[in-house]
Formats: sequence, C-alpha cells, structure tokens
Amino acid sequence: MSKTIMETDKLDMNAGEKSSIEQIEKAETGLKIVMRLENLTKKFGSFVAVNNINIEVHEGETIGLVGPNGAGKTTTIKMIAKLLRPTSGKILVLNKAGKLQSLNGDHKDLVKFGFLIDQPFFYDMTAYQILRYFARSQNYPKEKINARIDELLKLFKLIDWKHEKVNTFSKGMRQKMGIIQSILVDPQIIILDEPQTGLDPKARIEIRATIRELQKLGKTIFVASHMLHEISEVCDKIALINNGRIVAFDTIENLEKNLKEKELNCQLLYPLPANEIESTINRINEKLKKYANHHIEVATAEHNHSVKYDPKKQNFTIYYNGKKESRGEILEILMSEFKSNNKIISFSQPKTSKLEQIYLEMILDDQPREGGG
Amino acid sequence: MQILEKNEKYEQLYLAALPIVTTYIFELKKQWKKFVIFMTMAISFVILLSYLPYALIPDNPLPDTQADYFQSGLNFIILLTIFGACFFFSGIICSEYSDKTGFITFPIINKYKLVVGKYLGALTLMIGVITAFYITLGVLGIYWYGGPINYRYYYSFGIALLYLIAVSSFVTFFSSFMKSVNMTIVTTIMLLLIANMIIDSLVILLYPEFEPIYSLNHNSELISYILVEDFPTKLEDRYEDFEFRNFRRRIWLTPTIEGAITIFLLYTVICLIVAAFIFKRRQL
Repeated sequence: MSKTIMETDKLDMNAGEKSSIEQIEKAETGLKIVMRLENLTKKFGSFVAVNNINIEVHEGETIGLVGPNGAGKTTTIKMIAKLLRPTSGKILVLNKAGKLQSLNGDHKDLVKFGFLIDQPFFYDMTAYQILRYFARSQNYPKEKINARIDELLKLFKLIDWKHEKVNTFSKGMRQKMGIIQSILVDPQIIILDEPQTGLDPKARIEIRATIRELQKLGKTIFVASHMLHEISEVCDKIALINNGRIVAFDTIENLEKNLKEKELNCQLLYPLPANEIESTINRINEKLKKYANHHIEVATAEHNHSVKYDPKKQNFTIYYNGKKESRGEILEILMSEFKSNNKIISFSQPKTSKLEQIYLEMILDDQPREGGG
Repeated sequence: MQILEKNEKYEQLYLAALPIVTTYIFELKKQWKKFVIFMTMAISFVILLSYLPYALIPDNPLPDTQADYFQSGLNFIILLTIFGACFFFSGIICSEYSDKTGFITFPIINKYKLVVGKYLGALTLMIGVITAFYITLGVLGIYWYGGPINYRYYYSFGIALLYLIAVSSFVTFFSSFMKSVNMTIVTTIMLLLIANMIIDSLVILLYPEFEPIYSLNHNSELISYILVEDFPTKLEDRYEDFEFRNFRRRIWLTPTIEGAITIFLLYTVICLIVAAFIFKRRQL
C-alpha cells in the first residue's frame, strides 16, 4: 500500500477503512501516532482559512507543513496551540497514558508541547528572567533550570546576552529566543511556525542543525514554513498546503515520484496562435476531465485546470491520475485534437522532480488571501 | 498509605498552583519599575498635600481632629487608585493578544491560571502603593496629633482596598476585549473619571431623589467619609440639598457602609466573570 495520504482519498473512506489503514500504517512505521488533525476546518465568516485538513504525525517524525503565505499554515498551528478554535474537526494529541486525547479536554495528561509562533514577542525582561519563568511555570526541575538555560543560550550563541533585555535583541535574536523557549522544557512534541523568519543564512543553517539534533533525541517535530528548500532537508514528510487544503502529504521521495508519474509533457511542432490558447486549453481540459488528478490540479497555476500550456516551449503539461492505461488514452485524445493544424513532436513524462517547481508555481500564482496564515 | 495519598494530594495542589505562583512572582518583577514610580508618587503627594502646607505656611491651621486631617488627606487616594489600576491592570489580558505572548508558550497550561497570577501580582503591587499612602499619612497624623491612630482610619484602609479590587476588576474587564494596552488605559481613565461623573450628575439632575448607588464614584466617598465620628445612619443625613433661585440640587455625601461594600463586591464579581467569559471566547 502506498503511504501517500491524499486528502481526497481520506474523505472517501469510511471509518472502518480509515482505522484499518491506520493500523497498517502503524504496523509499517512501527511508530505511535502522537498527533492527529481530523477534518480540521477554520472559517472566518465565509472565508475558509483551513479546509478539512487530515494529518497524522508519528512519534519521532519531522513533518513540514509547507505552503505559500496565506495558505493556512499559521491558522493550523494556532489551532494546535489553542489560540484559535476550530470551526469543525478535531485535534488529538498523545497523552501520558499513550492514547490520543482531544486537545479540548483537560491538558494536564497530555505530553509536553513546545511552540514557536511566528514573530514571537517577549516581555521587557532579560533573556534569563524570561526563560526561567517559562521553565518554572512548566514545572521543569528547579535545580536543572540554570544549566538548561545556559546550554541553550550557548547553542544559539546568545549566552553573552543572557542578562540583557529581550527588547534590545534583533529580530533574528528574538526568533532564536522563541526557538529556545519552545524546546526549553524538553517537550516531546515541538511545533515551529516559520522558524527561519528573520534569520540570516548562517542562523538558518544553525536552525536546521538544531532540528537534526532534536530528531536524534527522538523528538516529534512539526514545522510550518513557506520555504520548501529550507525544511525539505530535515523533514521526513512534507504536507503541501494551499488555499487551506492539504494538497499532498508524503515523504519527499514519494511526493516527487508521485508527481513525476502523474505528469505528462506534450510538445507541439508549431506554437498555438495566441487567440486559440484559452479555448484549446478549455477544450482539452474538458476532454481529459476523467483522467484529471484532483490532487495536483489545485497546485497548478490555473486552479481549475489540469492542463497547462507554455507558449515559449510550445509545450502542454498535463496532470493526470498516473494510471498506465490513461496515458495511452490521453495520447489518443491529444493526437486527434492536433492532427489538422499542429503536430505532436514529443509525448513524455518528466525526468526530473517537479516538486520544487510546482511549489514555486503555487507561491507565484497564489493570490494572497485575507485572514489566512 | 495515607501519607502517600496525602503527599500525592499536596503534589497535585503544588502542580496546580505552580503556574499561578511563578506568574505572580514574574509579574512582581515585571511591574517593579511601575510600582516604584507609583509608590514615589503616593508618598510625594501625601507629603505635598498633608505635610508641607502645614509646615511651611504658618497661618494655615491644622484640621481640628486627627480624623478630619485624615479625611482631607485621603482625597487624593481615589485618583491614585484609578490611575494605578488603569496602568497596572490594563495589560492583564489584552497585552497577551496584542503582543502574541504568554499563552503561546503555555498551550497546555490552563490560561486562566496565568491571568490569575498576573492579576494577583498587579493587585499586590497596587496594595503596596495604597498601603504606602496610608502609612505615610498615618505617620503624619501621629506627628501632628500624637497617637494612637483613629481606629476608623483602618476601616477606611479596608474600604480603599475593596474599592481598588472593584476598579481593578473593571479595568481587567476592559482588558479582556480591548485591542491594545494604551487604548484600555485611556478608555478606562475616561470612563472612571469623566464619564462616571457626567452620568452621576445627569442622574442627580433628572432624578434628585435617586441615590446613585450603582456608581463607583459615589461609593468611593465612603473611603474618607467613614472617618466622620457620627457616621450618618439615616437617609436624610447622607445628603444635602442646595437651592439656587428655582434650581434645586442634591449632593449625596456618602453611601451606606453595607451598600458600598455590596456594590464593590458586585462590581468585582460581575466584571471578573464577564472578563473570564470574554477571555474564553477570545482568539488570537
């Protein structure tokens, strides 16, 4: 069974199927589920910021929630942090008894969380005072607090600023403080929202190194970012989010493979006349509707199309369901479409990964949405 | 076995109280500078209004009794309480949202405990300011009139603390839905000083017979009026009527002791319950 979890697939499943798949997944990975987002939806009036998200995070995994600005990342994180109430759906988190428990109930039995929200702000106190307060409030052993604070301040090269007021810190230093407070009490689950924001390249490398260190310690990490290349290196799985929906959730290797297999390129001998492009795309799109890949089409430039045309390369890109038999049928349709005025000179699958490219298109073509995070 | 159970109970209590206690201590440290400023202001004003005028102006006679002296010296306490409460309590809830701090760090700790810790911390500091004011005035009372201090002065102190709790709850209520700390400070000062006075004056003008028992302003009169030796027990002794041509105006001198205490408690309970409800519904 493919480990790929597509949202649309999930929606079609009944509870029984779902539970059996979970069991299989658990058996495959051998890991406990520490957090599950179930049909999570957040609406601000008529605006849907997060639309029916389903994600499972296993123990020790590092999950990257990647999407352009306004895709719904921060809204999702804020719901996990209980700063926003979901309109519908559930957030289940592992409790100390080893079972998943709703975040709405009593918190005292849940495993420890560490959070970094985007652009953290701190009280006008020294780094030491703030960190000590955070640690004490969360019942971190009193005798270990000072050593832990020093260890983390050294790790993030802030030790010389230990007794300086946080308000005098630069944006990057405050971001580091945010990360320090999120891992201060040694939580089992660490949730980071845009941890690289405001950091210089060197500091970003340090953040990646820190995430790797945390991975070694078996921590479960959930990172939201709009920079795919920044977090793809450290994540076990990537959840691509756009317009509030998870468009893909899998390992990077599987995603790339999947995307490659579900993409076809069809190059024409002559370019299409400019006035015919739109009608041709619409016509082909209509004819290829039954082969469409509903997952990928959301990510393409024309959100309602699974067919794209690049006038410079005289090339059609078709996102389809990936089935072998569909490929032949699609070729036949295209041949009949272009037999009179144009000729198809090449019909192939891409050789290289398109993940980054598709993601970039998502960012470039995505219209900023108000209220989303 | 029983000892173990008892220890477990104590540990649970300790864990439950820990966020409140640590936040309380942190709040004391956080607002320390503000406390020093208000404390200095409180002591300076007592010296300025209740010592210097009598020490430097030879023809300025002291009030007849120590109680009268305290009564005149306590006029500033209302203003001090209002300003202090507005500055100390305005950020209790709204700063967490405007600055995106606090609750973000503690998603699995009951956020009410943090607000309780902050509230108690700010309240302690304000109690410190009020106490400093009373102690300074008390010492001056002994200096001018000799000891002991009139026992009614202690009652006044108790009522001043109740008034402080009521005003701080009122400010906390505004902090629960206002967007920024500065807005909360300006709004609550305007409401407590100006709006309250305007409403009271209008009510008295329109319904002269009606005592403005709802008003924090009116009830705060008890802080100084409790020092009057023959505290009025009858309704007609608690107001004075003035007539000027065809215009008649009633001035309420003091509320009843029970009435004022009830109103202070009602303000406290209602404001805090509504604030808690709004806080529960509020999202970042």
